[in-house]
Amino acid sequence: MEDVLDEVVSSEDLQKFEKIFHEQLHQGNITPKAQFEYAWCLVRSKYPTDIRKGILLLKELFNSHSEGKRDYLFYLAIGNARIKEYNKALHYVKSFLEIEPANQQVLALEHQINKRMEKEGLMGMAVAGGAVLAIGGLVGLGIALASKKK
Amino acid sequence: MTMDYVTALKILVIGESGVGKSSIILAFTTGDYNASFPATIGVDYKCKVMDVNGLKVKLGIWDTAGQERYRTLTNSFYRDAHGAILVYDVSEPKTLQKLNEWVEELQVYSTKKNIVCLVVGNKIDKPRAVSREAGQAFAQKHRMLFIESSAKTQEGINLAFEELVQKIIETPGLWESTGSSSNIRISNDERRQQEESSCYDYSCSI
Ligand SMILES: Nc1nc2c(ncn2[C@@H]2O[C@H](COP(=O)(O)OP(=O)(O)OP(=O)(O)O)[C@@H](O)[C@H]2O)c(=O)[nH]1
Ligand SMILES: [Mg+2]
Repeated sequence: MEDVLDEVVSSEDLQKFEKIFHEQLHQGNITPKAQFEYAWCLVRSKYPTDIRKGILLLKELFNSHSEGKRDYLFYLAIGNARIKEYNKALHYVKSFLEIEPANQQVLALEHQINKRMEKEGLMGMAVAGGAVLAIGGLVGLGIALASKKK
Repeated sequence: MTMDYVTALKILVIGESGVGKSSIILAFTTGDYNASFPATIGVDYKCKVMDVNGLKVKLGIWDTAGQERYRTLTNSFYRDAHGAILVYDVSEPKTLQKLNEWVEELQVYSTKKNIVCLVVGNKIDKPRAVSREAGQAFAQKHRMLFIESSAKTQEGINLAFEELVQKIIETPGLWESTGSSSNIRISNDERRQQEESSCYDYSCSI
C-alpha cells in the first residue's frame, strides 16, 4: 500500500457492512457505528457512485455526531480525492490540520493528493490552455463579426 | 530485473489504543519519538528494508488503530500477514488482559496457519504495573515470542523486529522469495525509492 488512495475495500467487507446498515435502516434506527462502518467501506470502493454515497453518509455523521470528527474528516478527504474532487479533499485536509497540525497520516495524505493533482494537473492545464485558445478564437471571431455588422 | 531484497513480508501490529504501536513503528523506521502521538486513523502503513543474516528483507508494516470504532473494520487487514506484533503497555495491566481479545481476532482472521507472533510489553521506561513474568507467561501460553521495549528510549525496539523476522525466515513454507513470486510487483518508481536504504513513507507496496 504505497498510497492510501489506491487501497480498495474487499467486496466481503462492503457486503457485510452494507447488510448491517440496511437492516438498521429498515428498523428505522441507524447507529453512528453502523453508518461509519458502511461509509468507511463505500469511500474505499472502486465505484464512484459508492464513494459519493459514502461521502454523504460521512457528512451526515460529521454534522450530527460530535464524537469521531477527525475520523470523518480523514475519510471525507480520502473519498473526495478518490473521485478527483481534489480541492474538496484538500479542504478537509486543511480542516483536519487546523486541529492536529503535525498528524503524519494526514500530511502523507496531503502529499498524495498534491502528487495526483500535479500528475493530472499537467494534463488539465494543457486542456484548459487549448480551451482558452479556442474561446479566444471564438471571441475574436465574434468581435470580428460584430464589428463587421456595424 | 534483479530485486534488491530476497523477500517481502507483511507484519501486522495490533493491541489496545495508546499502548504505543505507532510509536514502536516510528522508533524502528526512523529512530524518532513523539511524546504526543495522535491516535491512528484506520490503518497506517510503513515500510523498511532490513538485513537478516546478510539477506535483505522488505517489511511492510501495517499499523492498525486500536480505537474501539475500528475494531470490526481492521481485521480484513490480517489477511496474508507473515508476522504479528501484539503490543501491551507494562504500566496498564488492563492492556495485557485485553490482548486476549486480539489473540482471538488473530486466530479468526489471519490466513497463514503458521504466522509468527510476538508479544511486546512496551513503555518499560515508565513505572511498571505488569511484571516481566506475567507478560512472558501470556506469550508462552499462546506459543508466541516475547520481548519488552520502550519506544521512548529505543530499548528492545530493533531486537523485537529482528527476533520476529528471524523466526519468520526460519519457518518453512511461510514465505516466498521475491524471485519466484508473481504477486509481488515492483515498479520503477519504487526501485528508485529503495536505493535509499529504507523507505518508511508511502513509497513502497507489498
Ligand atoms: N513513556 C512512554 N510513552 C510511550 C511509549 N510508547 C508510546 N508512548 C506514548 O503513548 C502514547 C500513545 O502511543 P501511540 O504510539 O500513539 O499508541 P497506539 O498504540 O499507536 O495507539 P492507537 O493508534 O490509538 O491504536 C503517545 O503519546 C506516545 O508518546 C514508551 O515506550 N514510553
Ligand atoms: Mg497508532
